[in-house]
Amino acid sequence: MSKLATVVRAGLRSNFGLATIKYRILTEKKDRWLVPLFGLAALGVVPMFYGIVLLIQNVYYVLRPMGQERALLSFGILAGQLLILLFGIYYIIAAFYFARDLDLLIPLPLRPGEVMASKFAVVVINEYLTVAALVLPVIITLGVVAHASVGYWVNAVLVYLALPIIPLALVSLAVVVMMRFINVSRKKDALILVGSLVLIGVSLAVQIALGRSGGGHVGMGAGTGGTQAAAESLAAFFTSPNSLLNKVGAFFPPAIWATKAIAGGFSGEGLANLALLLGVSLVLFAGMIVFAEKLFYRGVIGLGETTGRKRRLSRDEMSRRVAGGRRAFAAIFGREWKIMNRTPIFLLNGVLVSVLLPAMFVLMATIDTGGGSGAGGGPGSGQGGDTMALLKMLMASDPLLVILGAALFMTICGSINGTASSTFSREGAQFWISQVIPVAPREQAAAKFVHSYLAATLGVVTSAIVAGVFLHVKASQLAAGAGLALVAGVALTAVGMIIDLARPLLDWTNPQKAIKQNLNVLLGLMADAGILTAAFFGVKALIRAKLAPNVVLGIVLVGLAALSAVSYIILLRFADRRYREIS
Amino acid sequence: MIELTHVSKSYNRGKVKAVDDLTLTVKPGEIFGFLGPNGAGKTTTIKMIVGLLRPDSGRIAVEGFDVGADGLKAKQVTTFVPDSPAVYERLTGLEYLNFIGDVYGVPKAERLERIGKWLEIFELAPVVTNPIQSYSHGMRQKIVLTAALLPAPRVMVLDEPLVGLDPRAAHQIKEMFREHCDAGKTLFFSTHIMEVAEKLCDRIGIIHKGRLVACGTMAELKAVDRTEAGQSLEEIFLELTDK
Repeated sequence: MSKLATVVRAGLRSNFGLATIKYRILTEKKDRWLVPLFGLAALGVVPMFYGIVLLIQNVYYVLRPMGQERALLSFGILAGQLLILLFGIYYIIAAFYFARDLDLLIPLPLRPGEVMASKFAVVVINEYLTVAALVLPVIITLGVVAHASVGYWVNAVLVYLALPIIPLALVSLAVVVMMRFINVSRKKDALILVGSLVLIGVSLAVQIALGRSGGGHVGMGAGTGGTQAAAESLAAFFTSPNSLLNKVGAFFPPAIWATKAIAGGFSGEGLANLALLLGVSLVLFAGMIVFAEKLFYRGVIGLGETTGRKRRLSRDEMSRRVAGGRRAFAAIFGREWKIMNRTPIFLLNGVLVSVLLPAMFVLMATIDTGGGSGAGGGPGSGQGGDTMALLKMLMASDPLLVILGAALFMTICGSINGTASSTFSREGAQFWISQVIPVAPREQAAAKFVHSYLAATLGVVTSAIVAGVFLHVKASQLAAGAGLALVAGVALTAVGMIIDLARPLLDWTNPQKAIKQNLNVLLGLMADAGILTAAFFGVKALIRAKLAPNVVLGIVLVGLAALSAVSYIILLRFADRRYREIS
Repeated sequence: MIELTHVSKSYNRGKVKAVDDLTLTVKPGEIFGFLGPNGAGKTTTIKMIVGLLRPDSGRIAVEGFDVGADGLKAKQVTTFVPDSPAVYERLTGLEYLNFIGDVYGVPKAERLERIGKWLEIFELAPVVTNPIQSYSHGMRQKIVLTAALLPAPRVMVLDEPLVGLDPRAAHQIKEMFREHCDAGKTLFFSTHIMEVAEKLCDRIGIIHKGRLVACGTMAELKAVDRTEAGQSLEEIFLELTDK
């Protein structure tokens, strides 16, 4: 048992780099600036969380007279567990089979179950962080509003700790069996890519299926229709006898046990459900370890071997394939392009997300009335839905708002990917090459900028297509919105790159850490949110000043262009300085 | 030529002195072997020469170009082989060589000739279109060496270049070292293999605890040492670093 604890502790330390962070902040005093920055970033997301808490509170007050307030708790927990269940497969495959430290762990005198437990612990901790935003606001708001007993809080902590275990253990069992029987040694990259895409497809299909059958009114227009209206539609959603909640609750009972355990506190019902949840978690975890003992190493050993076909190029072939006269800028851009596209995790998180986000928007906006019969979107049009109807109504109201709204949507879709804010981190241990080649850092940064900006442009283009096809935004308005988004994209790309350049994560062993678990990507998103919020208030002030729409657009364009120019210049100068400092 | 003048470098805000007031000149046409125990400051010195680390004080010049002030010009005449061959795994060997050829501005004809020559010598020709990911450690080391030779640099800096190479490749590398320096170019490399340093190097420097404790030809090192004649480099090394 002590050996298991040691290997789990080592896995957590190695993955989360706590010792490194402590060393950098306390001993080397390098990352101290991060502390106030995180404080600032936390302040930045406070308004958003405040809105969510208000919404939950309103729903609670609507549900309480009906005695249905527990449904809210179930919904939060269920959403968290389903998220883990669906995306856990992706994390589990990466952690169990493609972490590079497996080469170090496997030769050690450890049992396969111990190695797997160490990897499992890392994924569990990651999931605590992932589902926190989904689950904690519900649990905490409900506890506070309902003046919950001590039992509620104690059980809530235990339930939260157990929350990822059942879905992840189920996923692990499936993955361990699959990897044992499928020979993937030559196609591991394709496996991750196809597997991830299939999973995303399945997750979307499940949402559509459940959304259609549930007849739910999730109230996607919460931000525009006011919290009261959203609360009422959410209440209807929860109390419907054929609700999504009941259907999925029946499909995945642990969410119901967790709800009863928290809501019941120290009562008989609460403790019984807590025991059931913890007991099943333990049994599944133990079952996973037993399976691991038999199957884990059979799937993992030899997986890292890649073989290539030996073939000598003829003189002509060699002459064709040896390049000549390409500029350094083009060479660096080409390197970025190839490495990004050939690393599935980079491609998924850096490029495909730009396409997936607008696609998800379309799906979510079209399913909420479950049949394309919402106001404004007649049957057969394929664009039904309360959200869509609401958006179309807004479209008709004010052309200026249409352009600005479209620009905001396109900017978000363009900047949500992690390409810019992981651009230096992705080089990892190979960053030495960039430091020794005779190419000015500003030129390298410029080539990387073009690559990252292309990913942003892809998001702008796909979202423009979505806005044009599904929301019937006029071509002239689309063009104006796209113009603003493309200009804003320069600033957001440059800011993301500056953040990554300030503290590149170069010592990763699993490419997932370079982009998916890279703090810089999160910081980049926060910075983007900050810039867009500032722009929002600026535009609001301009509209209130009753300026002509064209003047407002002109000022916004000039403002964004100035910000973009300044950010880009800062990026180039910063690159010249930082390339020499990074060691 | 490589010139280090009163170069110092410390880590952890001055608490750990990695290189202490190092002054050293490596002349054109010279193979210079840099020896020292683990943690003596070899890799730190090498990283400062190629621009991967900045010295706290002192000046480093390569072919007369100040590495700090004229970094790009210094890099244009220098290539570097690190102790662990971390290269872009998702590129093929040929794509990596093309990348290096592009950034150093190597014309196509010269590129073709040098790539062809070194791929044959290192027996990499049949796998050059495969991803580097599929290469063994030794093959990666060879592709990094091929890339370092591609620009035909005036100065080559290599950190433990023979580690991981099979005897045939190691032999060819040593011949290449000689060929390189016979053409009037400079080669600076670190090694733990005393025999190689003794047989191959024109001059040898021994660094210990960040300070250069000995520097010269084999004959000079033997003369400086006070003990009995006929000592091997290994014995001199052990004696100088046993403090």
